[in-house]
Amino acid sequence: MTLQILLAISAVLFALGLAAVLSRSNAIMILIGIELMLGAANLNFISFWRFSDHPSDLTGLLFVIFSIAVAAAEAAVGLAIIILVYRNLRTVEADDANQLKG
Amino acid sequence: MMHAALESFCADPVKFLAPWFVLLPAFVLLLSAAAAVVMRNLIHAALCLTLSFIALGVVFIALGAEFVGLVQLLVYVGAVAMVIVFAILLTRPEQLEKSRSVFSGIGPAGGAAIAFGLLATLLGFIFASPLAKKPLPAPAVAPVANIGEALMGNHVVALIVIGVLLTAALVGAAVIAMEDQP
Repeated sequence: MTLQILLAISAVLFALGLAAVLSRSNAIMILIGIELMLGAANLNFISFWRFSDHPSDLTGLLFVIFSIAVAAAEAAVGLAIIILVYRNLRTVEADDANQLKG
Repeated sequence: MMHAALESFCADPVKFLAPWFVLLPAFVLLLSAAAAVVMRNLIHAALCLTLSFIALGVVFIALGAEFVGLVQLLVYVGAVAMVIVFAILLTRPEQLEKSRSVFSGIGPAGGAAIAFGLLATLLGFIFASPLAKKPLPAPAVAPVANIGEALMGNHVVALIVIGVLLTAALVGAAVIAMEDQP
């Protein structure tokens, strides 16, 4: 097994997330795509850490821990916004939420 | 060919199977992520996403990052997936619009084309890079004690900032989603 395979897996995962963000209309599906892209980035960090010359520095691991914390905060705020949009507009379709009035 | 593979398997089964501990969950990861992207039903998509989170955690553990893999399982499977399912349940449309497309204005073909273009570019660079041909080094060890020392030592400022960020984000999320604003 080489680093190439892991990076290729991560690239495919990122492309899947990007496809979900670009082509799905439901706001929750867009958030799912963002989570997939974050997972791909984390897989990249872990792969580079595993193949690095100084794994005892733990840099990749610590970056992933912080990245997971930020992703959790992002998911909470994103879903709260989706619930608020649904309460005001009765829709979760991203294309329908097209007014700035609260 | 088969005989040689069998012999190396008998000589050291763990070493022979080691790549598959990573590649098998990675295969599950990609399959369930693809299913989550194309599923029509939101609940099915969320469950496929949960399966892909579990597979990603298993990949982390198989790569030697046990602590991060367990954090991934706890935070993503335990919290993020559950919050997504809750949001789906809270925002159920009153009348199910069957005729409506699940795709946005750009359409499935446009999104897939852009994603495929990015994927082709990334794979081109990945397979051209000399760095990526590096063989697997000896298994790395990352004891939890060392991670804790690094978090409380060199990275303590980042740890405090992430704590403030999480608190602010979660209080903000609660305020945004509150029923009637005082």
